[in-house]
Amino acid sequence: MLKVAIIGCGKIADSHAAQIQRVKACEIVAVCDREELMARQLCERFQIKGCFSDVKTMLTEAQPNVVHITTPPQSHHSLAKLCLDHGCHVYVEKPFTLNTMEAVDLIEYAETKWLKVTAGHDDQFRHGARKMRELAAKGYLGSGPVHMESYYCYELGQTSSYARALLGDKEHWVRRLPGGLLHNIISHGIARIAEFLTTDSPEVIAYGFPSPALRSMGEDEIIDELRVIISDSEAATAYFTFSSQMRPSLHQFRIFGQSNGLILDQDNETLIKLRGSRRKVSSNSLSALSTSPNNTPPIRFKTSALFSATTFTLNQE
Amino acid sequence: MRPGGDSAKLAKYADQIGGTARVEIVRGNLLSRDDCLRATQGVAVIYHLAAARGEKSFPDAFMNSVVTTRNLLDACRHHGSLKRFVTLSSFSVYSNDRNGSAGRAATGDLLDESCPVETNPARRGDAYTFAKTKQDEIVTEYGKKFGVPYVIVRPGFVYGPGNEGITGRVGVGSFGIFLHLGGSNTIPFTYVDNCAEAIILAGLRKGIDGEAFNVVDDELPSSREFLRLYKQNVRNFHSLYVPHSISYFLCWLWEKYSHWSEGQLPPTFNRSMWCSYWKKTRYTNAKVKTRLGWTQKVSSAEALQRYFDSCRRKAAHA
Repeated sequence: MLKVAIIGCGKIADSHAAQIQRVKACEIVAVCDREELMARQLCERFQIKGCFSDVKTMLTEAQPNVVHITTPPQSHHSLAKLCLDHGCHVYVEKPFTLNTMEAVDLIEYAETKWLKVTAGHDDQFRHGARKMRELAAKGYLGSGPVHMESYYCYELGQTSSYARALLGDKEHWVRRLPGGLLHNIISHGIARIAEFLTTDSPEVIAYGFPSPALRSMGEDEIIDELRVIISDSEAATAYFTFSSQMRPSLHQFRIFGQSNGLILDQDNETLIKLRGSRRKVSSNSLSALSTSPNNTPPIRFKTSALFSATTFTLNQE
Repeated sequence: MRPGGDSAKLAKYADQIGGTARVEIVRGNLLSRDDCLRATQGVAVIYHLAAARGEKSFPDAFMNSVVTTRNLLDACRHHGSLKRFVTLSSFSVYSNDRNGSAGRAATGDLLDESCPVETNPARRGDAYTFAKTKQDEIVTEYGKKFGVPYVIVRPGFVYGPGNEGITGRVGVGSFGIFLHLGGSNTIPFTYVDNCAEAIILAGLRKGIDGEAFNVVDDELPSSREFLRLYKQNVRNFHSLYVPHSISYFLCWLWEKYSHWSEGQLPPTFNRSMWCSYWKKTRYTNAKVKTRLGWTQKVSSAEALQRYFDSCRRKAAHA
């Protein structure tokens, strides 16, 4: 049985706890939050025995094999090193660290300890993403990527609790990140591109700005619109788009090789094959036929996502 | 008030009552212990109305309801000037479950202050209920451990200008058509002004430390009556009545599927929630009347009219 611990008992820790408990060979042995009440609420809801407010005490007493770090990113580097020092493999929630230097240092430190450290880019391991990776590895694209496009959007309206917390608090931890809101959100979308790049230092041209919607709320510190052009040493190019305003709010990745292309639509958990030798169709039948011969709608993936975007709420008292 | 809150409204209100009261607005975050210390210095009565409404995340709701309450309580203890801590709770904390520990509500279908509260609030699948139950717990704990003089006020559904939505006790509109689930159930309404009156009294009456008070108005409409009036006065829309036996079965089915599928469907609908929201229940305001001396200032007819007017105004500006 793999003993797992979680440090940081905020919103995202719930997702980690729920998924860990689905793995039969794992047991969450302890959780830790410097706010003891937060640790207690997670323990109570997930029936976890070890409840701590001090990390060192938890690592010593619970002796986990793996630690999930779900604290704000400012503490990721130091906490991860502490866990590695106690012989634990570490899963770090995104964003991995505050900067490249910390990331490199952490990876090297884990290697010296013969331990594993990973970033929480779980979107990369959803059904559609795995199928896409499998097809690319089998040579479906016909070559390495010629061009990629990644859309990763986030609806930043006044109704979202995240937006209310961020916009209402000038001291919010997201604002204190070097890359602000973008630093906290875009890594899922960037990871899609990074997977297929051949260099760690691609050429990057980026343009970011606060959206007019945000400006109208008196907010001019937060950049919530970003357009990026990326080029690697093998001349593969990529566009990355982050937007809080465009609709639909896409989470989509498109990759094109010399033979074929693939579109991964995360919201619909769908992977579409785009054949390079696509046959021409008449314009009036375009909408009906243009994708149907090449579309591989994975019904089994769709059903899993059927209700994921739907919320069921009651008017509370 | 919270950072980013609309201070203009509060300042305007403070000006209105400025002739008889000295009002100081403190801006801060209840998650900050320093801000709590600043806000509670020299204070004798605290009306703790802040809550995490609309949160879907359990940790967020908990943090914004329970951690904040704990910070306030600690600040009060530090200053030592507190005479009364009035905390706002909710009817949703009652289990109202025939299989619950006491089964009290099942016997006469009367929900009063002696009915058991939810012992396992997480099973409700509702972050708000979880947070409110835990908030009550921590206030009670501070009362017992440290002698903090507290009173818990549990309003039914507070309606009026500022809360124009239709309570989930009447039905839900999440599925394309409005499902009318309340039927002939009485809806525990309390008009915002009437509720405010009870809250004020809870801070001022002597000899009620450690008590809880349910607040509902005198003449409570049934769900069916309310829906008919709403359609007549605000807007007409299609609704589908779902009998109680069917809604209970659907909640049971949803609960089972959610569990079996390991959360593919969120556990929003379940039997515990059905008991709290849609089980036929009667309500009483006897205790709030006898112990607090509360009377309903705005009649239910007048309150409903004001509410419908507000709904129409909101719809016109939407």
